[in-house]
Amino acid sequence: MKRFLPILILLALLGLGYLLVPKGSHSFFGTRLLNPKPVDFTLEGPGGSVRLSDFQNKLVLIFFGYVYCPDVCPTTMLALKQAYEGLSPEERKRVQVVFISVDPERDTPEVADQYAKAFNPDFLGVTGAPETIQEVARTFGVYYQKSQYRGPGEYLVDHTATTFVVQGGKLVLLLSPEKLNFAQNPGYLSKVVADLRALL
Amino acid sequence: MKRLLALTLLTLPALAQVVAVPGWVRLVPPVVRDTAAYLTLENRAKTPLRLVGAESPLAERVSLHRDHREQKGGHTVLGMRPLPHVEIPPGGKVVFAPGGYHLMLEGLKRPLKAGEKVEITLLFQGGGKLKVILPVEMR
Repeated sequence: MKRFLPILILLALLGLGYLLVPKGSHSFFGTRLLNPKPVDFTLEGPGGSVRLSDFQNKLVLIFFGYVYCPDVCPTTMLALKQAYEGLSPEERKRVQVVFISVDPERDTPEVADQYAKAFNPDFLGVTGAPETIQEVARTFGVYYQKSQYRGPGEYLVDHTATTFVVQGGKLVLLLSPEKLNFAQNPGYLSKVVADLRALL
Repeated sequence: MKRLLALTLLTLPALAQVVAVPGWVRLVPPVVRDTAAYLTLENRAKTPLRLVGAESPLAERVSLHRDHREQKGGHTVLGMRPLPHVEIPPGGKVVFAPGGYHLMLEGLKRPLKAGEKVEITLLFQGGGKLKVILPVEMR
């Protein structure tokens, strides 16, 4: 019997460890940030200044893009629409989707907001002076660069297509464009909704 | 495959072997004047087929694009690049879908409506043309 004791103790410890794991703990589909980074910005919306901290009590989903973007941006914006609409009306009240245009040259705050609202009327579109956008992009680690320049107003923009999830003023979760390509992976929608619910 | 568009013989005999499986034209917010069209082109011929352009009565210009992807600062940076042509190998197919190839309808002459049909003429090397009709959908 004595020679089994270490094994019994090990099993007992494993059992104890299992009991200590919080029940119902969610395994995130997106990339959870273990050291949430404090973030904030002040940009221009259709009705004046918008501060990220205005949404202190909400889960904020931020996507950087530009309006003249027919493939990449709508793929993510449609995914955000579907994920948002996959929540209950009560849950939606605690979520804000924000579209930040990195192309203030062409997108006014009004245009950015009309664009965002076409996906869901609760969404908000903002932009700002080029220097402010640059600063906000730096905070989030977002890269953007004009490409295929043909003339003023005629160019494409390469940009980081990650969706940033902010809670209580801190960046807590990242959703890559691949994880938000529901056109190619319809099964991802429920995983993203589950991530949002776990944070709410 | 029930919505498969079997295509009639057009200007080139080779085109009789091209099959377009319709996709959709993306419904974009009315403030946007560019959109994307998606479909699958299958080449059932024994020779390669080259798509060199497209046109639509609803857009000033239609161009071929493919998504461009790179990693910067731990994030995926996406963009798109125009393509002079898209080659469909013999017996192969090319899928135009979000995140990959798309036909970019530039300078829409009016905002599109969900459910309406958009006519696009695909132009192939050698002068072959193929007309496809795609529905406008928000997806």
